[in-house]
Amino acid sequence: MSVEEQEPQEDAVQERSRGDELADLLGDLVISREEHLNAPGFVIRPDQVQETLFKLRDEAGFDHLSCVTAQEYEDRYESIYHLTKYDERTDEVSIVVPTSKDDPVSQTAEPVFRTADWHEREAYDLVGIRYEDHPDLRRILLPETWQGHPLGLDYDQDRPQIATLTEHANPLAQDSRGDEGNTMFINIGPHHPATHGVLHVETVVDGEQVVDLDPDIGYLHRSEEQMCQMGTYRHQIMPYPDRWDYISAGLLNEWAYARTAEDLADIEVPEYAQIIRTMGAELCRIASHMIALGTFALDVYGDFTAIFMYAMRDREIVQNILEDLTGQRMMFNYFRLGGVVWDLPEPREEFFEKIRDFIDDLPEALEEYHDMITSNEILQARTVGTGVLPPEVAKSYGATGPVARGSGIDYDLRRDDPYGYYDKLDWDVVVEDGCDNFSRLLVRMREVEESAKIIQQCVDLLEDWPEDERNIQANVPRTLKPDEDTEIYRAVEGAKGELGIYIRADGTDKPARFKIRSPCFSNLQTLPEMSEGEYIPDMIASLGSLDIVLGEVDR
Amino acid sequence: MSLQVTLPDTISGLLGLEGVLGDVVGGLIGAFIIANIMLITTAIAGPWAKRKITAAFGDRIAVNRIGPFGLLVIIPDAVRLMSKELIVPEGVDRPAWDIAPMIIPFSALLGFAVIPMGNGIQLADPETGLAFAFAAASIASLGLVMSGYASNNKFSLIGALRAVAANIAYEIPLVITAASVVIFAGSLRMSEIVAVQAEPLLTVAGVSIPTWFAFVNPFAFALFIIANLAEIGRNPFDIPEAPTEIVAGYQTEYSSIYFVLIYLGEFIHIFLGGAIAATLFLGGPAGPVLPGFVWFTIKIWAFFLFTQWARSAVPRLRVDQFLEIGWKGMLVLSFANLVLTAIIVGVIA
Repeated sequence: MSVEEQEPQEDAVQERSRGDELADLLGDLVISREEHLNAPGFVIRPDQVQETLFKLRDEAGFDHLSCVTAQEYEDRYESIYHLTKYDERTDEVSIVVPTSKDDPVSQTAEPVFRTADWHEREAYDLVGIRYEDHPDLRRILLPETWQGHPLGLDYDQDRPQIATLTEHANPLAQDSRGDEGNTMFINIGPHHPATHGVLHVETVVDGEQVVDLDPDIGYLHRSEEQMCQMGTYRHQIMPYPDRWDYISAGLLNEWAYARTAEDLADIEVPEYAQIIRTMGAELCRIASHMIALGTFALDVYGDFTAIFMYAMRDREIVQNILEDLTGQRMMFNYFRLGGVVWDLPEPREEFFEKIRDFIDDLPEALEEYHDMITSNEILQARTVGTGVLPPEVAKSYGATGPVARGSGIDYDLRRDDPYGYYDKLDWDVVVEDGCDNFSRLLVRMREVEESAKIIQQCVDLLEDWPEDERNIQANVPRTLKPDEDTEIYRAVEGAKGELGIYIRADGTDKPARFKIRSPCFSNLQTLPEMSEGEYIPDMIASLGSLDIVLGEVDR
Repeated sequence: MSLQVTLPDTISGLLGLEGVLGDVVGGLIGAFIIANIMLITTAIAGPWAKRKITAAFGDRIAVNRIGPFGLLVIIPDAVRLMSKELIVPEGVDRPAWDIAPMIIPFSALLGFAVIPMGNGIQLADPETGLAFAFAAASIASLGLVMSGYASNNKFSLIGALRAVAANIAYEIPLVITAASVVIFAGSLRMSEIVAVQAEPLLTVAGVSIPTWFAFVNPFAFALFIIANLAEIGRNPFDIPEAPTEIVAGYQTEYSSIYFVLIYLGEFIHIFLGGAIAATLFLGGPAGPVLPGFVWFTIKIWAFFLFTQWARSAVPRLRVDQFLEIGWKGMLVLSFANLVLTAIIVGVIA
């Protein structure tokens, strides 16, 4: 593909000069420079993190802390801050902060980017780096009683861990009966009808109003990062992404890994396979948004009501199409590095017909949703102006996907950092300026239409594709061994937002560090911001409008 | 207008008993019959009809394996519900916690004592019939508060507080709207309210339309239905339960037979709401061709269907919006309706 060939070179030229520019800006703050495949890297001192990040944010416009990766080397710990811009996604920079083995203490980035709060907690929890002046450096995914840091090099996996109930802090102990007066502590979750999985929201209410709230996550932590580090690039990692955002978004997740690994190993995907990928991914997006719509309605309406069932009914059609395509309903495992596992199902005409029928019926279905949901006055009274997330706050928390676009942030990786076949198709990024629950709902509903547009074009292309040029798989060596110390951070637009993966290769056929940047993880962080001072029902609606999947939050 | 013969009188007449003995025996047997009618109705409504209706709204099939249209699912469901383990949480306030689930269904059943169901099926017909029905139905609030407070659960407590707030806010418009009907009818006695509605309002092409108060004053009817929805806690007013917000409200900690009793109470309350609405606004058991009791059954089931429709299709209001509508909207409108009705009736009569 000619376009893909040229782009990396252009990027490289741009990055070189960009790297120099940034080096000039940072001046003495830089100890040394690194080259990551996606961005220039600058090594800085652990006590100058805030100064560096402030400078990059305020003077160079890097307003998006996409991810914080922590890792341990033989001789040092390292935190990497992956920075980019909401306005220009391809302009990236990595700030590398090494800390010593004996005393892994680094300055926190939380005052600069509030999203660093949770990311650094995770780094502390799993790797063991401590962040100075961090407002709340507790474990985030593992229980408080956990011993050791599982992604550290000297961690003993065989050591039994005992996390007894008695060692847990009694959540009821915080009940402010008497002294403080009028507040009440309630545990919303981990078993609660509205938490969309095993989320535990520690909530302090004053009557019906939320005074304080703290999402407690980690109930579904399955060591996905470590499992990926134990698998080979070529085959063993691909099944895992399906299990992150397991609600129909499988292909979108697989693409995150495929894109990262293909860029890492310099694999070129045939155009035909890219079109199939694009089509499959957008089908997944529709299915995922249908669930988001249905469960949001569930949170606002009450029970498994009509609108939830309608959304499930229409999603079922997508699921059947995906089943025809991949042979699976949820855990697709359809992408391969360099292509997809098999071509479209035969007879092709029937398959295309099925998709076309779905696309043709979709406007009518959406019309029905609009009749039942968005034009309902009660729903408007419930959602317009509630769960407000101003764009500046959303950016500070690294919110992406429909959550960011519902806050008026025009940011979509499919357009801003094109991959696959998106840049050759005709579609629009959906943005709503309301910043409230209603906007987020609208964004998802309108995105379904845009996805349908993309699928339509893909089907047209695939139908006319010459039979002898249906190449679904590039030549990829059986064993992939990227060069030692190559580092890359790449993201795709998942169903919930920016799904990024950082990989560091160590010359073997398995990644030395595999870090997942989950969009839900960052989006969930905005919940206290949206809900404090609001009523409990609005908090529940805001949680629903974030559309989190705990499998992806906890990984 | 002659006083109608009530069910106990009929029974004691049939048995040839007189005096106090006749009243007691007739009353007991009559109450037994009425209670069983309502329990059977609820048994059909809860495990079967509700599922079928909700499924129809959501494009599903629901129960269809046992018996025709899955009707016999009622039996295994009853066995299942009753044989479940009763979990008594630590720290519940014991007698109150046990009494609450009994108060809720029995208050609703009590309300049916004064409802004329047609064909002479009416347990009692006191002069204060309507007031009695509302008073009996309101006892349920006590049960809700007891269950919420005694459960020692924060979700239950919030649910109970919401239930009380809802009942206070919507009971007043409900009763005031009913009072406007009483002004028309000139009596609180249920049989007289029904009898007044039997007179023809106007005749169109040979078909005589009766003076059902729903036709005479549709505005009051709409107000009454809305307040009624709030009273029985169905969407958009299912604030006290609000499953996605406060788990199950006041009934969070109840399981097994207590759970059944509370649910039973809710369903009978829906039917009682429908029965009062039918009596006040839809001519009670009146209707062409079919016997009165059948018409009465059709009317209360229509109301049940309406509540299920609302539940499937209408979002829930937020608790503050809910109370705002109650105090600032419903209350004002119902008083306006009452005053207007009084003026109109005063001028005409």
